[in-house]
Amino acid sequence: MKPIEAKYIYRLLPHKYPFLLIDRVVKLDPGKSAVGIKNVTINEPYFTGHFPGEPIVPGVLIVESLAQLTAVMYCTGAFPEDTNWDDMDSLDIDYAAIADKVGYLVDIRNMKFKRIVRPGDSMELRVRKKAQFANLMQIQVEALVDGQVAVEGTLSVSEKI
Amino acid sequence: MKFTTKEEVLQYAEKRREICEKIKEIIVEQLCLDIEPAFITDDQPLFGRGLELDSIDALELAVGIYNEFSVTVSDGESEVFSSVNTIADYVMENMDEDGDDLDFG
Repeated sequence: MKPIEAKYIYRLLPHKYPFLLIDRVVKLDPGKSAVGIKNVTINEPYFTGHFPGEPIVPGVLIVESLAQLTAVMYCTGAFPEDTNWDDMDSLDIDYAAIADKVGYLVDIRNMKFKRIVRPGDSMELRVRKKAQFANLMQIQVEALVDGQVAVEGTLSVSEKI
Repeated sequence: MKFTTKEEVLQYAEKRREICEKIKEIIVEQLCLDIEPAFITDDQPLFGRGLELDSIDALELAVGIYNEFSVTVSDGESEVFSSVNTIADYVMENMDEDGDDLDFG
């Protein structure tokens, strides 16, 4: 499939500037797994204070990026099966209704931060659904930089009903 | 469940006891509780009053039970999590017939 560009992610998710933390979705198995990209530049507003003279991406924001990719993964699960992801412009979809479905982060577990992420790094975010119970979903997540694991762990998210 | 010999009854009871103990271990480990597994009794309510678990714990418990017994608790069956006994009943009912191969290691 063609990557899902930022302009579509912008429609899919309720998140907006300065808190839309994924740039692109490069692989997608709706409702099951996804791979996304988040590029880091020195212009990110948080580098002013984190830290002066030593810009490091806050780990919690990497977790948020992974949670946002999870939201794309599960809200696209509600799309019809024959959706043509290569031609998103002509999709007849009520984006607002989809953004409305995005629930909340409910659990962060076993999260490890193994490598510092700095301006210029490109994070490859990977999420995979492990389990579901009622309106909760458990997701295995990782963020890679240059093929090395920077962050890995487990998230649980809720679905709005 | 039908038994023909006393031996089978004893075997069944023994297996059920092992499963109950394993479930208590899963509850404590999976939910990072600061108690001994033996502290949980078989009929104690797990949610609300009792052990005070919540819906996030239920998800975690469903994962733990699947990992250990390869038994899936589906969405509509949350009453399975009422107590250790109800979980054990459900596990024994839904486990593979040759559940003897269970690895308790």
